[in-house]
Amino acid sequence: MAGSPAIRFRQASVVYPSGVRGLDRLDLDIPHGDLVVIVGLSGAGKSTMLRAVNGLVTITGGDVEVEGRSVRSSRGKALRELRAGAGMIFQDYRIVRRLSVLQNVLVGRVARVPTWRQLIGMWPKEDVELAFDSLDRVGLVDRAYVKAGQLSGGQQQRVGIARALAQKPSVILADEPVASLDPVTSRRVMEDLRRINQDLGITTLVNLHFLDLAKEYAERIIGLSQGRLVFDGAGGDVTEGDFAEIYGRHMTADDVLEAQVAL
Amino acid sequence: MSPRPEAPARTRRHLLTAAAVLFVLGLTVWSANGIGVSLVELFSNLGRMGRLIDDSFPPAWSFWPRLIKPLLETLQIAIIGTIFGSILALPLAILAARTVSPSRPLYWLNRNIMNVLRTMPDLFWAMLFASAVGFGPFAGALALTVFTVAVVSKLTSESIESIDMKLTEAVRASGGNWLETVFFSVLPQALPQYVSYVLYALELNVRASTVLGLVGAGGIGMVLNTQRTTFQYDRVTMIVLFVFLVVMLIEQLSAAARRRLV
Ligand SMILES: Nc1ncnc2c1ncn2[C@@H]1O[C@H](COP(=O)(O)OP(=O)(O)O)[C@@H](O)[C@H]1O
Ligand SMILES: [Mg+2]
Repeated sequence: MAGSPAIRFRQASVVYPSGVRGLDRLDLDIPHGDLVVIVGLSGAGKSTMLRAVNGLVTITGGDVEVEGRSVRSSRGKALRELRAGAGMIFQDYRIVRRLSVLQNVLVGRVARVPTWRQLIGMWPKEDVELAFDSLDRVGLVDRAYVKAGQLSGGQQQRVGIARALAQKPSVILADEPVASLDPVTSRRVMEDLRRINQDLGITTLVNLHFLDLAKEYAERIIGLSQGRLVFDGAGGDVTEGDFAEIYGRHMTADDVLEAQVAL
Repeated sequence: MSPRPEAPARTRRHLLTAAAVLFVLGLTVWSANGIGVSLVELFSNLGRMGRLIDDSFPPAWSFWPRLIKPLLETLQIAIIGTIFGSILALPLAILAARTVSPSRPLYWLNRNIMNVLRTMPDLFWAMLFASAVGFGPFAGALALTVFTVAVVSKLTSESIESIDMKLTEAVRASGGNWLETVFFSVLPQALPQYVSYVLYALELNVRASTVLGLVGAGGIGMVLNTQRTTFQYDRVTMIVLFVFLVVMLIEQLSAAARRRLV
């Protein structure tokens, strides 16, 4: 699909059953291999935007296309295929603490391995290899057989990244991946995401709260407010004035990771 | 000193208390008359009771070797009931957990059947299975299977409803189907609780299988009944002591294991 972008939002809207508009007629093309950071106040619709890409929320208007495939009309097996092609990383890691690190990463292979093999623990050799490769990319091979709950927060998040990588995804969706981490660990995780984006060419969408991190790592920054696109520009060009526009207020210490170090 | 508020009227509460006391008194008289409770009879028969106690002591210590085999049978009945019941209970618990169940009607049906199972006492099931497969240990084990399904599936489904559903979403986001979601997020979270309920069921079943023996399901309960009907009270005492020790031992072991689990 040389012609179509990795992800295309076409007048995409999400209205929750409560009536809240999470995403409002978003039009946006994300080219292959880009690392795009989405910023906006809490409640601006950042999570909704990412979750519309893998169908975890119901698109109620317009559509989102991933590699040319419509998310809105995907159901059952087609939807699971689509999700398998998009690795998701969560603020709260969402790994199973009682399972080993390796088992958590193998969850990234669920859509590619027959269910019965998973249930009796007979994972194909290639898939186990792939899981180890993914752990290698985040520097956690030596923890493979440790219970995931014994790792630190930053390590758990990297297990989450390895799980997403094990999917061999064409897209990575990271929903505030560093919001629960300290500044040093935050940078480590952002470095991992950037390296993966550059080495493997995986199109990456990252929701971030901290503006300096956004500026540092983004090739492109998208600003959302009340579900609407309010900013779209190159990461390096964005100014404090732009942020004030996106946030509807001036920047404060809370918006900057560097300021958190001093706290 | 600022004026005190007036105390609230007490008459209503007093009336209610009096009514409740009268009601309980009436209930007691009604029941006592119905079953023929008689203090006179109780006291005039104290002598007979004294003789009974006299006959029961000392326990027939030398009787114990003949108790091993029936006691093992009682344990075997409990073990089979616990294992069969627990295996059946796990899938039923998943279907009966509102947040995980794949289908609303299935959830509803399962819940209601489980509620009916639970309201029937295990003795009822023992009688039912006795008429199907004949009186004996097997009928007892089947009765305890039903009892275990009811207890373990109910408790486990409640544990499943309280797990972190966000983890489930992570498996779905990777493209997992329902079964994979259950296997990688529901079960790992709920399994320790489940195992603890299975141990709890084993404790209940060891006691229940002793009682089932009294009505012919075999094991130590049956021996107890035989000795009682032939007035060998010193042997009865020995059996009671023996059962008491073993049940207590199993409960202590199981309780210790459960404390380690959760
Ligand atoms: N499941 C939901 N049901 C109803 N409203 C929701 C739900 N999820 C999010 N919202 C609402 O949609 C809006 C956008 O939320 P979200 O996408 O989570 O924003 P952000 O990630 O930028 O903080 C908010 O007003 C939020 O309250
Ligand atoms: Mg969010």
